Amino acid sequence: MTESLIWWSIAIYLLIAIGIAIMSRQGPSESMSGYFLGNRQMNGFVSALSYSATTYSAFMMVGLAGLTYAGGVGALGFEIIYFAGVSLVAVFGPKFWAVGKKFGYVTPSEMLGHRYNSKHVAMAVSIASCIFLIPYSAVQLAGVGYLLQGITDGAITFTTGVVLATVIAIFFSYIAGIRSVMWTDSLQAIMMIVASTLVAFLVIQGLGGFGALFDTLATEHPQSLTVPGPGLFSFVTFLGLTIPWFFFSISNPQVSQRLFMPSSLRSMRHMLIGFLVFGFIYTMVSVLWGFSALAAFPSLASADLATPTLLASEFVPPVLGVIVMIGIMAAAVSTIDSIMLTLASMVSRDVYANVKPNVSEKRQLLVGKFVVPVIALMALAFAELQLDLIAVLSVAASSGLVAMVPALIGAFYWKRGTGVGALVSVVGTSAFVLLMYATGNSLLGLPAGVWGIVVASVLFVGVSLMTKPHQASSDAFFTAIAEELGKKRRTTSDQATKAAAA
Amino acid sequence: MKRSKWIWLVWAVVLLSYLMPYTLLSGVALWYGSFLFWMLAGLVIIALNVFITKDFEEHSND
Repeated sequence: MTESLIWWSIAIYLLIAIGIAIMSRQGPSESMSGYFLGNRQMNGFVSALSYSATTYSAFMMVGLAGLTYAGGVGALGFEIIYFAGVSLVAVFGPKFWAVGKKFGYVTPSEMLGHRYNSKHVAMAVSIASCIFLIPYSAVQLAGVGYLLQGITDGAITFTTGVVLATVIAIFFSYIAGIRSVMWTDSLQAIMMIVASTLVAFLVIQGLGGFGALFDTLATEHPQSLTVPGPGLFSFVTFLGLTIPWFFFSISNPQVSQRLFMPSSLRSMRHMLIGFLVFGFIYTMVSVLWGFSALAAFPSLASADLATPTLLASEFVPPVLGVIVMIGIMAAAVSTIDSIMLTLASMVSRDVYANVKPNVSEKRQLLVGKFVVPVIALMALAFAELQLDLIAVLSVAASSGLVAMVPALIGAFYWKRGTGVGALVSVVGTSAFVLLMYATGNSLLGLPAGVWGIVVASVLFVGVSLMTKPHQASSDAFFTAIAEELGKKRRTTSDQATKAAAA
Repeated sequence: MKRSKWIWLVWAVVLLSYLMPYTLLSGVALWYGSFLFWMLAGLVIIALNVFITKDFEEHSND
């Protein structure tokens, strides 16, 4: 892989991506929902690809392959439980969509603040999301830096890689807000699924086929085909990893905000099913990469080298290796730009507009656009500093964001839930998770991933029962859902009446 | 049974995805052990979601 091949490929990728981003523009977006939600008019296909690209960060191709290399088949189980958790979209998606349409919500935190009639809830959810997701983005950026540096033998330095990814992420979000992000995400997703499947196919062929690969694993690394296996996936660790990820689709605002965007429930369905098909292929491919690396290169110094080693091996033609490398960089970018936009919308809508009341929509959008590069630069700075604290916050991200889950479920299913209950649950659980990670992540032998959901639920239910709910706002919320989703029944019975009349 | 109730089957698959590999399949160090189980669980999840969200198609968007 020569340096000029790499730079040429990056240039070609950028040219195509920028072209797509510019084409995605649809006149100037003057409103918050225009810029951050694509006017709630996104179609199912682009939504599905973009949802996939946002969810599957660079973590997948490097991290999941590495996790399989080190811990065996348990890595597949971990991903499948996350994957099953996305079914929560089938339950919560229409409800999110209905209230978003009715009340014009731009962010999930705004929705919670309105449902519980508490600005403080909206602010707390937004700030907690920033605390966990900015470091998470920083680690994504650092990942890109290491990957490019590793694969190119230092021809592209760590800093060049990190700065490059940041600049591209800012650029993609600036061209047309969420629209350009979603369209460039789609390009990345298609490129990645084709290239990575091809790599898996070539490598497995090179190793003598699927049967031969699994025979090698069964004879030389039998533990890799079972859990707990080589030891990484003890049942407690597995629980701690999977419980927070199971709730990812509703706890992470960069994906739950997507539930406001589809143009119809039909588009939402296409988004969900499209994502599941994509995610399944991507998961299997990443796990097979990990297994192939284990069979072909069993003595790597670190599991994170599994993907770079595989890409640089004789099984993969250099051009394909470069495409995948750029795909991984683009995967990090597609995750970061979505997080940046979501956090920016939360900061301007739920923090700025709540601290300073009566600000116009235009002003909010201006503040949001200003916050986008600020968040990107913070992530860049954190990535460069490589502080231990950042790594801890990033790892804590999935467990920490579980803090929002009981308040979210309660918003739709428990009228008795109160603003104070939601606030205490979000703030208390975030603090608890951070404390757990700072002190070795074990309480009575269980990790924060297991405790988080328990603490958040106890706080939410307990404090809610001790305080008074805001009847009017919860009634309005529940009525809106019933009305909006009830349209289906009217349409169906209309059709039945018409059919009967005919 | 209402279509949305089928979501409970998804949660049952999740439960089995915790239980089976750590019990019955923990001694099966072959491709048709936990690997196949989790792979099939993923496919079942897709099929269930296709079924559960079928009604979404009928919702009017006015």
